[in-house]
Amino acid sequence: MTFRQKLGLLAGASIVAFSSSAFADSTVRVTIAEYSKGTGPYFQEAAKAFEAANPDVKIQIEVVPWDSLQQKLTTDISAGANADLSIIGTRWLLDYVSEGIVAPLDEHIKPEFKARFIDTFLTPSVMNGKVYGLPIAASARAMYYNKDIFAKAGISAPPATWADFKTDAEKIKKLGSETYGFGLQGKEIETDVYFYYGMWSNGGEIVKDGKSGLDSKAAIETAKLYKSFIDGGLTQPGVTSYSREDVQNLFKQGKVATVITAPFLSGQIKTEAPKLNYGVAPIPAGPNGDKGTYGVTDSIVLFENSKNKEAAWKFLDFIFTAEQRTKFDKIEGFLPVNAEEAKDPYFADNADLKVFTSLLPNARFAPVIPGWEDIAKTTSNAVQKIYLGQGEAEATLKEAAAKINATLK
Amino acid sequence: MQRATAPYFLILPSFLLAAAIILWPLKEIVSLSLHDVNRFGILRDFVGLEHFRVLFADPDFIAATWRTLIWTACVVLGTLIVSVPIALILNEDFYGRGIARILIMLPWAISLTMTAVVWRWALNGESGMLNSALRDLGVIGSNIQWLAEASTAFPMQILIGILVSVPFTVTIFLGGLSSVPEDLYEAAATEGAGRWDQFRLITLPLLRPFINIAFVLNTIYVFNSFPIIWVTTQGGPANSTHILVTYLYELGFRLGRLGDAAAISLIMFAILLVFTLIYVRLAMREEKA
Repeated sequence: MTFRQKLGLLAGASIVAFSSSAFADSTVRVTIAEYSKGTGPYFQEAAKAFEAANPDVKIQIEVVPWDSLQQKLTTDISAGANADLSIIGTRWLLDYVSEGIVAPLDEHIKPEFKARFIDTFLTPSVMNGKVYGLPIAASARAMYYNKDIFAKAGISAPPATWADFKTDAEKIKKLGSETYGFGLQGKEIETDVYFYYGMWSNGGEIVKDGKSGLDSKAAIETAKLYKSFIDGGLTQPGVTSYSREDVQNLFKQGKVATVITAPFLSGQIKTEAPKLNYGVAPIPAGPNGDKGTYGVTDSIVLFENSKNKEAAWKFLDFIFTAEQRTKFDKIEGFLPVNAEEAKDPYFADNADLKVFTSLLPNARFAPVIPGWEDIAKTTSNAVQKIYLGQGEAEATLKEAAAKINATLK
Repeated sequence: MQRATAPYFLILPSFLLAAAIILWPLKEIVSLSLHDVNRFGILRDFVGLEHFRVLFADPDFIAATWRTLIWTACVVLGTLIVSVPIALILNEDFYGRGIARILIMLPWAISLTMTAVVWRWALNGESGMLNSALRDLGVIGSNIQWLAEASTAFPMQILIGILVSVPFTVTIFLGGLSSVPEDLYEAAATEGAGRWDQFRLITLPLLRPFINIAFVLNTIYVFNSFPIIWVTTQGGPANSTHILVTYLYELGFRLGRLGDAAAISLIMFAILLVFTLIYVRLAMREEKA
């Protein structure tokens, strides 16, 4: 337990103690995933501001690290000890909805409330025509590139296609300074997504007509393309030992010239490597001009067994005001989900963020299918085998696709 | 009558405590493993041994089982082999012994997860300390990607496992060595025994019960040890460094297959039970002899 969590618990405990006083009618417990060290303090402050306006409601914030969120929710829910509200990955939502664990929010949503959101971000949490969650965090992916390395290799613009990208990476290799063109992630969470970037450019889909797209021509081409980057020494060596954070660190250190990741890297570079001269560009397109990026939202959900649904809704209404959203997204480096918030000069005039928002029309969200984590794991295992040269691209992907089709049934 | 019931009556409180801590969860896990369970632990249909059938048809599970046995054997035996000489040296009286003892014990004071995180950084291929140290020493010409493949990752994980088990084991041995009376060695020396004979004929036999206890406790700890492997590779790449406990965690909490996870934990329980029974048999035979 970190000091911050202890502090959070302590604060929670003191709130419980106070809530026994005469005028506190209901306590709303909220499970929060810790995105950064600013997450906990933001929510504590928001809770205080909300309580000041609503003295009959007490908010109790529980901050959990992302990695243990799923475990905490599983154990809490199976013991019936879950909070009233919780942040979850939208990609898990279907499992929650089909088990009847989360409550639909439609009866509370007024047209005015719905109008606050940018539609793209609200739709992933709509299931069977009902809204089951609100997008608490939104993000997309683009390619960060190191302008200095590109200039040194005589490249003037970020690559528009994967073919250009490969030529550029070869030029960077010729610099011969242990600098690599393509920062390729091959370990832990989102290893599968890093593979989809290329697959979408080649015109592939994760799931098409209820079947896995991993055995499609696009997927096989992508596997061969990535493998040719690895074999040509155009990626950092040993890609299967680099998680997303590890590749981002290589980028900050100037050891890889590109990395495909989320807006929050801009903020990290600002504090950790302020001298890094970088730009943000769309993910390269495929031979037919196909493009794709990964759109991700996390949702905040209301549990069906909550006894304080009204009070919990009031709190949701409060944190989704433009003022609160702006504060939160600035701290975390997420994309604005609220239309009015997006007009704030911080977002509207930010060159990096503009690239991300311009990619949204092509964004793919995790498909709404049961057992998403299982499918992600199977895909990651398959691409790791290919990266390591332990399996031939076509055979390995076909085997994985068969396994995924069995999960999809 | 009075005499026959009294002992049972006296062990009743500790039995109840043990039952609450061990038997109740065991019953829960058995029932999880025999039912179709959703990802939130709600029981549905009774499926009998279906989860066990699925596991035994899963090549990753079979591989993880073998890997667990290799992991346990290598770490436990490696620890014993390293710890005996360290304990012997630390038992000698030399200048700076206090500091040497503290240095050996220090890793014990750090949580296992923290140690594993530090090693994950140290083993990083491009910016890790191990690679830069080896390069400075001229041992290697280019960086080794330690965690990229099981063939380098798993041996490193075993080495880390040994490193963190040494302090505890050395402590047990030092306790054992301090109980060996000094005059035995003096007597042996006057009879003409060399250092090796003294070690073989006096130290080792007297240390035997302590080695036994270190062996059993380490086996149980290492068999169930989660942080080192989870932190460094999460069982990857492509499930090639999973041991049973990390595989169990992944199935249960990442993939939501609680029934399969419960079945693995029962299998692990059975394996440890067999270990313990063998040990108790051996220990009792020794006592009788």
